[in-house]
Amino acid sequence: MSAPTLSVNGELHPLRPGLTLLTLLRDLGVDPARVAVAVNNDFYPGARVPDRSLEDHDVIEIVRIIGGG
Amino acid sequence: MPADPLTLGGRTFTSRLMTGTGKYTDFGVMREVIAASGAQIVTVAIRRVELNAPGHSGLLDALNWDALQLLPNTAGCRTADEALRVARLARAATGVSWIKLEVIPDARYLLPDPVGTLRAAEALAADGFTVLPYVQADAVLARALEAAGCAAVMPLASPIGSGRGLRAPELLRTVLDGARVPVVVDAGLGVPSDAAQALELGADAVLVNTALAEARDPVGMARAFALGVQAGRAAFLAGRMAPRAHASPSSPVSGVVALPDPEVPV
Repeated sequence: MSAPTLSVNGELHPLRPGLTLLTLLRDLGVDPARVAVAVNNDFYPGARVPDRSLEDHDVIEIVRIIGGG
Repeated sequence: MPADPLTLGGRTFTSRLMTGTGKYTDFGVMREVIAASGAQIVTVAIRRVELNAPGHSGLLDALNWDALQLLPNTAGCRTADEALRVARLARAATGVSWIKLEVIPDARYLLPDPVGTLRAAEALAADGFTVLPYVQADAVLARALEAAGCAAVMPLASPIGSGRGLRAPELLRTVLDGARVPVVVDAGLGVPSDAAQALELGADAVLVNTALAEARDPVGMARAFALGVQAGRAAFLAGRMAPRAHASPSSPVSGVVALPDPEVPV
């Protein structure tokens, strides 16, 4: 059995025991207020990211607004 | 409110020129361009945060969104499912449920996938989004998107960022004929006369980004596009003359004075 992992913005990320969404963002150096986050099919405004626990194979996207047409 | 507002997604706008925020390296120029354009609807894109290089200045902080309608796009999405996901992330990131829907599998011409666009539009409209789909100028597709609940349709003039102008006005005409939602010509406009042409034909608005961002003087070009859009709209409302195959003299043909011909020696 392989070690539990997350997909974070398309890259594999180790899931250590007790890791939550907020601690993941803190580990990554991401200020939640400036982003939006999806965990699988749940979508959260950065300011309202819940401190939910994470599970093996969770797919997480962290996005921001940039210039575009 | 003037007599001729643009009503889109339940809101009214005085400007028929929309702009993007792409290709500007300087928020100051971008702000000046948007102000000079008079645009009230402004597009932005959604991208993954670069986890290896966090720290970025916020585009959302650079503009006054109380005065502008924010229109996030799904640029970069190749499938309907990707577009649905990005639209929902955009709503979470901005608090705005307007979405410029782009489903573009083709990188060379950036031409939209009509089937995927329709499928995503149906899902997003059902999910409460104000959907503005980017499409080819296809009347059958446009009617289907209206039926799906889209707030507008956005046919392209020519490929994104090409600046080639309106290449298929006859096809645009078929989209305009009988349209029940605003038609916004998006992509490929290069100069204000392109915008004027779209509005003259009856388009309700246009969206430009590259034509402004890559102009030698972006602010001057934004001002020029605003005038082009106003001219085109005024011409559409005034009603153009019917074209003729042959000349028709503007001066009366009777009572012409016979003058001596100076070329003929007396």
